[in-house]
Amino acid sequence: MPYSVVALADLLADARVWKLKDAPASASRPAWSTGLRALDARLPGGGWPTASLVEVLLETPGLGEVQLFLPALVECQRKTAGAAPWLVWIAPPHEPYAPALAQQGIELGRLLVVRPPSATEALWAAEQALSSGVCAAVLLWLQGTDDRWLRRLKLAAQEGGALGVLFRPERHRFESSPASLRLLMTKGQYETQLELIKVQGGRPGPVELHCP
Amino acid sequence: MKPLRRLTSAARSATADLFADGYADVAVSPVHQRLPTNAARLATPSTARHLRQPRLQQLWYAAVFPELRDPHAPSTLQRLARCAQRFTSLVSIETPNALLLEIKGSVTLFGSLAALYADLDAAWSRLALSVMTAVAPTTLGALWLARAGQNACIEEAGALAAALAEVPLACTAWHPDRLRTLHSMGVTRIGELLRLPRAGLARRLGPSAVVDIDIALARQAAPRRAFVPRERFRERCDCESEIETVVLLQQAVQPLIEHCAQFLRERQAGVQALELRLWHRTLTDTRIHLGLANITGERGRLADVLEEKLHRLELPAPVKGMELRSGSLQPLSAASLDAFAGLRSGGRDTAPQLVERLSARFGETAVYGVATIAEHRPEAAWRRVHALRLIAARTDDLRAGDVSTGKGRERGGDADMARPVWLLAEPVMLCAMDPQHTQPLGWILDEGPERIESGWWDGKGVARDYYVARQMPGARQMHDAPQMYGARAWIFQERRTRGWYLHGVFA
Repeated sequence: MPYSVVALADLLADARVWKLKDAPASASRPAWSTGLRALDARLPGGGWPTASLVEVLLETPGLGEVQLFLPALVECQRKTAGAAPWLVWIAPPHEPYAPALAQQGIELGRLLVVRPPSATEALWAAEQALSSGVCAAVLLWLQGTDDRWLRRLKLAAQEGGALGVLFRPERHRFESSPASLRLLMTKGQYETQLELIKVQGGRPGPVELHCP
Repeated sequence: MKPLRRLTSAARSATADLFADGYADVAVSPVHQRLPTNAARLATPSTARHLRQPRLQQLWYAAVFPELRDPHAPSTLQRLARCAQRFTSLVSIETPNALLLEIKGSVTLFGSLAALYADLDAAWSRLALSVMTAVAPTTLGALWLARAGQNACIEEAGALAAALAEVPLACTAWHPDRLRTLHSMGVTRIGELLRLPRAGLARRLGPSAVVDIDIALARQAAPRRAFVPRERFRERCDCESEIETVVLLQQAVQPLIEHCAQFLRERQAGVQALELRLWHRTLTDTRIHLGLANITGERGRLADVLEEKLHRLELPAPVKGMELRSGSLQPLSAASLDAFAGLRSGGRDTAPQLVERLSARFGETAVYGVATIAEHRPEAAWRRVHALRLIAARTDDLRAGDVSTGKGRERGGDADMARPVWLLAEPVMLCAMDPQHTQPLGWILDEGPERIESGWWDGKGVARDYYVARQMPGARQMHDAPQMYGARAWIFQERRTRGWYLHGVFA
């Protein structure tokens, strides 16, 4: 059988080959600390990547998925000089409980809740908010969506320099997604298990949140 | 009586003329009259007499319309005032049924007082309204003379007292109680009133009566605020052919928006509300209301918001014409003129624009903020905040704890347990009373209890013990209880019924 023999050096020089070692260097955007040391260590840049899309897949709602992002949201609102940037929550499954958020330190005067009538409208709202440039983070809850829309969201996030977080049920795990970071949250036997499914510039795998 | 007379004649004193020179520039525009300052009122009696003289010679034309009594009188008066603005820049509306015009400058403009008078009479007679007029150097003087129907024309302040002497007291339009008091004193005409001692008059009728007399006799200035007609943008456009689709409608409305923006730009003004009316052949017109997050006159933003509104519109019938109306015009603040406001953050929008676009598309109830309320009952400890209000509030105010965090942080300190991120709209029953178990079947209580007992005073009292709990895997549940194994939940036991409820989720 004829094999076309290619030198390894040539192969590596090919622009189509993505090299893991280059990735952290290219991710020069600021990252927001997650507040969890174990998770920070696993993420390129040491925290949630800004100006990108993060997808969180949930086995069931209520696993502490919002709590995962709250410390970073508080930090980014506090650190920004001048007026605090906006947070937009689109189609949350329940009412965001103001006392809880205030307890955590969220600037409620800069939190906007949007309840669009349909999933497509929710995506439109997310795109608008992400690309507006006034939002630090946009959290979006969806039951399902197609790849094309996610790409648009990612572009919008890059354009507006915002963090887009998409919460979806676990069943979308095996669909392709343009998100730069994909997390899976499962309930586990005793406590919530966190697994990185896709990390641009990092290694996927489960994360031990509470080190023994 | 004597001192009053002397004061009147002092109007022509040399001192007053000196003052008049000093305020010559003010006299050019009667709109910006100088009010007598407090310093002048507090001055020593001897100087006060001179200072109290009106600093500029004015001539007031009063027109009283005795037929105006109906509830439409205010709007009719406004129309009349607009009509009267042809003659002078200072027209003042005297409720309920009179106008005052300052005509000193207009006399020179029209040639003579007689010519101006004739023009004014012609204007009123064209409107077929019965009118009683008078000219006097003071506002109240002119008004009282006009109400007396004497058609007097007095140009000298010195002649005022004599002219007013025969005017019945009812023409002052004072309160009926005061008129009754005067009547019982045997005083029916202004002349008789002027003969009474000033101090006694002030004590019996109140100081405002004496002030009125002073104003009428030109001893005290009584500036009037000029009537400024309310401006709004309003333009209608009839379609050549009926418009059936929203896309075409969006194109058709563009010129109207362009004109509106132009109108606002010329006036350096903005609006916060617009209304688009669509007319149909048979149906009643469709009204589309646009609310803007802040005052704006930019064409792009108006068009953006309107586009979102129209996008969601379902036309009930073809449109044969439309009209764009603005809300009241407001001066643009410096902030909204900042061309770099959007560029600084690197994005293409400002926060108000984003909120506007979202609420134009989804409706104003679907876009909101949340705020805490200092209240122990969990369901009453928060409220929704209108998104536009949220935008209007400044961050500094919010940080000070106005709508949001301050109180919540205090209350949520060490004493209370953590609160869940999600609160269910209604507590969901987990299981009914179970006297044998101190905890709900199938649940593990992690933290608690936190006892909340409050609200007995408004009939919605609660007495609950709250816990942070987890559902046990595989446990038997009530058939309709929520399955949320793995999640941390905020549950409570009703202390009266001993039933268990789910109230929040620690997401």
